[in-house]
Order: sequence, then structure tokens, then C-alpha cells
Amino acid sequence: MLISDIKSRPVYERLSVDASGRRHLVLSDAPRPLADVIDGAEAAQAPLAYWYVASTSAVDGKPSAAPDAAGEASNYAPHETRAFRAIPHVMDRLSHRLARESVGLRLYVIGEEGFVWDVVRLAREAGMEESECRTAHAGSLRRKVFCVHCKTITHNVTTSLATCEGCGASLVVRDHFSRGLSAFMGVQADAEVPGELPPVEEMFP
Amino acid sequence: MTIQFKPDETFRDDFSYANSDAAVLRFPFPFPEDAYMYSVNIEPHVPGGPSPAFDNPFDVDEHYVAECRERAKVLEQDPSRCKVLPHMMAAEWDTLELIMESFATSYPEHFTLTREGTAWTWENRPLGIRDSFIFGDASTLPLPPFEYITRQAQGDFTLQDQRDDNLFIDGGMVTTQADWSLDFDVGMSFHQWHGPVPLAHQKGVFDRALKFLLRLQYGAPVRRLNWTLTVNPRLDTSPENYPQWGPDRTTLTPENIAGTLHLRVELQSLFRLPRSNAILFGIRCYLCSIEDLARVEIWGKRLHRVLRDLHPEIADYKGTTRYRDMAVAWLSRFDDGAELPVGTAPRQTSLPPKR
Repeated sequence: MLISDIKSRPVYERLSVDASGRRHLVLSDAPRPLADVIDGAEAAQAPLAYWYVASTSAVDGKPSAAPDAAGEASNYAPHETRAFRAIPHVMDRLSHRLARESVGLRLYVIGEEGFVWDVVRLAREAGMEESECRTAHAGSLRRKVFCVHCKTITHNVTTSLATCEGCGASLVVRDHFSRGLSAFMGVQADAEVPGELPPVEEMFP
Repeated sequence: MTIQFKPDETFRDDFSYANSDAAVLRFPFPFPEDAYMYSVNIEPHVPGGPSPAFDNPFDVDEHYVAECRERAKVLEQDPSRCKVLPHMMAAEWDTLELIMESFATSYPEHFTLTREGTAWTWENRPLGIRDSFIFGDASTLPLPPFEYITRQAQGDFTLQDQRDDNLFIDGGMVTTQADWSLDFDVGMSFHQWHGPVPLAHQKGVFDRALKFLLRLQYGAPVRRLNWTLTVNPRLDTSPENYPQWGPDRTTLTPENIAGTLHLRVELQSLFRLPRSNAILFGIRCYLCSIEDLARVEIWGKRLHRVLRDLHPEIADYKGTTRYRDMAVAWLSRFDDGAELPVGTAPRQTSLPPKR
């Protein structure tokens, strides 16, 4: 019942380059070879940048032409590849870039659901259309859960029940997803009979 | 005709809300047949039909003042129940104009709208409001136009922006809802905000409804009925406050269920708005205890059959699992199995005394 075909749940497809773009920016929340991330990068007619999160302070976010992400040699030649220290680091850099962008940019985002939709929201706030952003899921299925009672977002939820980090309620994770909040809805599981809780199951590994 | 308002009745705590016999007889009973399944049951929103609740674009009844007071209480506690995205200002004014003009035309003894160019004066006598303002200049009203007028109307309202061949829920006033959250859904597309509804997606109901609504014309509003069950006459059955109302569902007993369990009917209306091309969606909530409903002979029998044979997934989605059998058992005493006419009219003009 929890993992159903509820229609607010995003559907993802493998990324491919949108030929109508004048500039392409690919974002990944982990080091992944570009060829694994997106089809058509090699044949792209327009400048393409690949930004990924390396999760280490050893990188500095400066552009490098080669080699490809994750240290693998590649035949692809994106105009630039940048490695970032953490997700906030790349988001900060993305805001800066979007503020200076004009029509023709295409965004491609791959990673965990929370990251993907945080990027899309940033793009929308910068004036991009949803059709200019392509999204794909990779990595853990863990969810961000918005507590409908106290509005706190609890991160990294992998189970059917989660304790709200704000009000402490035991939340059942409804399969209802908000792209605006990048989060699923959480509703108190034992509101009718306090303490009457279903068994906790690992649902989103 | 002057409506006798009941300003002090409550929808929380002591639940003093009750329907007069006349209010029971005008209840928009939602079941024309013995079985219920989701469908695109949309019809033109024109005066007339089986209930006087359909006689006006926006129905005002004996609960008007009390419902406006209840709305103010909810907003005091949680202002996020009213939210309109910034690009919807034209739709806000469209809504204000539509509701003011409709109220003044339908109920001239209670509401008056005076227009001289853009200088308007609005009088709402039941609520003791009189304001003069410049139409189109939000700084001349004490509240943003959509919030201002929907605080003075019964039922919830949402604003749908139309773009990319889709509808987006880009605003609303939602304090009397059946377990959905405007704050969570705001900005979603048509299929996204209907995501949690079971069965209807597979039946293509939402695809057909969206196609229909994208073509909705100005001046040709439509309506449909929806329903659920609510324990106690509580308007605010929001997911936000589920910890407060959820325990009600465990309080039903065979002795108290008749007066405590209420059929909750939403008279949903959809209006194309003239300047913004947005759609105003009205969700007018009516509550009636199953005890009062059973005083209308064909309603008692039909409600028994609908609840008894309800699809389990719908019964679960509507939150009836804990008490449906008890309600069916109580209603069964009225049902002799006789064949009932198709339709929802009460087919009687007075009610027998309560049992």
C-alpha cells in the first residue's frame, strides 16, 4: 500500500541531451562517470558542463577539462568538469550561475530524490521551465518527509515509519510527493489510538 | 426570504451544530443509485435540481455566520490555510467580484454591492461588515482580496491557474477540508494533487475531468458532489490537525453513532474567471447526522445500501474502516429492501420526529 502508483510520485527516465539546448549543465550528487549519467554528451553541439559532488574537502570546485569524473579516462570532452565538496557547496555555486544565465540553458540532474528536486526548485525560482530540466534517480531511495502537523522536514528516512525531528510524532510516510518541498507527506500514524503503531519496515533503502 | 442564522453553533469542542428540519430536507444527498463508484459526475451549475442548495451560484444557509466564525478560528491558529501564489492577483479580484455579485443578487436582504466605476462599497449585514474600496487596488482592502471575500463565504475555495494544457493549484482558502493539505499541495498539477485518490486514476477519471475542465467556459459553471463520513459535525478535518480529530473515530458506539456520525457532502462548483482565465473551485461542505438523514425514508435505505456495498479501497481511503460495520448495522433497521427510485430528491416535505 505504501509504495503504490500514486501519481504525484515522480517518474524518472535515463538522461539524454536535449538537442535544443544552447548550454548544458549536468549535476550529480555523487561521482559518476559522465557516460553512465547521460546519453548524447559526446555528440552535444553546445557547451556542456558536468558538476558532481565528491564528498571530500580535497576538491575545490574549480573547472578542469579532463579527466572525467571518478577519475576515469573518457572519450567525452565536456567543456568543463567541476568536483564539489558537498551538496550545499554545489547548490551555492548553482544559484550563482543561474542568476547569470539566459534562455537556452538545459539542466540535467541525477541523484537521490531530495537533491534532484531541490535543484529543480532552484531552477524554477530562477525562471527556468520544468521542460528545461531533466531528472533521473540514482543512489538511495531514502526520502525527505514533511510533517504535515508541524512542517518540519525529516531527512534520510528509509523506513515506513519515521520519528518527526520537529514534534516527535511517529509519521507514516504517505506516497504523496511535493516537488515544491522535495519531500513526501508524513502523517501521524497513531493519531486515532495513541501508541497503536504498525510494524516498522525498511522501505526505502 | 430572510435566513434565520444560528451564529453561536460550534463545529468543535461541544459541537452544538445541528440542522433544522428545513436544513435536513434541503441537504444535497449525493446518492442517486444504490451503489457508489467514482465517476466524472459533472453537470452544469444552473439553478434548480433536487435540492434548493443548487439554486444559487454560492449557497448561503442557516450555518453561514457560524461557519465564518469557525473559519476565523482556524486561520487564527494556522494562517497557512490561506495561501495564494503571487502571480494569481488577477484571479483574486475575479473571485472577489464573482462572490460579491452572486451574494448581492441571490440574497439582497443580506448583502449589497454598490459599484461606481472602480469605487465599490460592500455591505455584509449578517457579519456586520461595510467596506468601501477601489476595485483592483489591494491597498484599499483590509486583507488581500481573495482572503477578504472567502472569509465571508461558506466552504473552501481553490484557484487553478491554466497553463501548458494543465491546471495548477496556485492558491486557496482551505479550512473545512476532508483530509487534504493546501500547504502541501499548493503549486501541484491536476494529477499530482489528486495523487492519493485510489482507483479513479486507473479508470481514467482524472484524464477525462482535466480535458473537460481545460475547456470550461466563462459564464457556464459546472458542479459535482463528493462525499465522505465525519465523526462529529467537525469542519476542520485537516491532515494538519489529525492528531486532534483522529481520536473521534474511536468514540463511536452502537448507542451514540446515529447522532455522532455525519455524512459530509461537498457541493463542488467550478467557475472560469474572466480576467485571469483561472478556475475558481468551490468546495461547499454540508454535514448531516445519519440519524437526521434516516428521517428521510429513501435516504436512510439508500445510505444503508451504499455503505454496505462500498468498495473496500474507497472505504479505507475515506477513513471509515473502524466504524463502517457499526453504521451499516444501525442503518439496516430502516431498509426493507424495497426498490428505490433513481434520484436524490427527498420525496417528502416534512420529517417524522427523531426516534
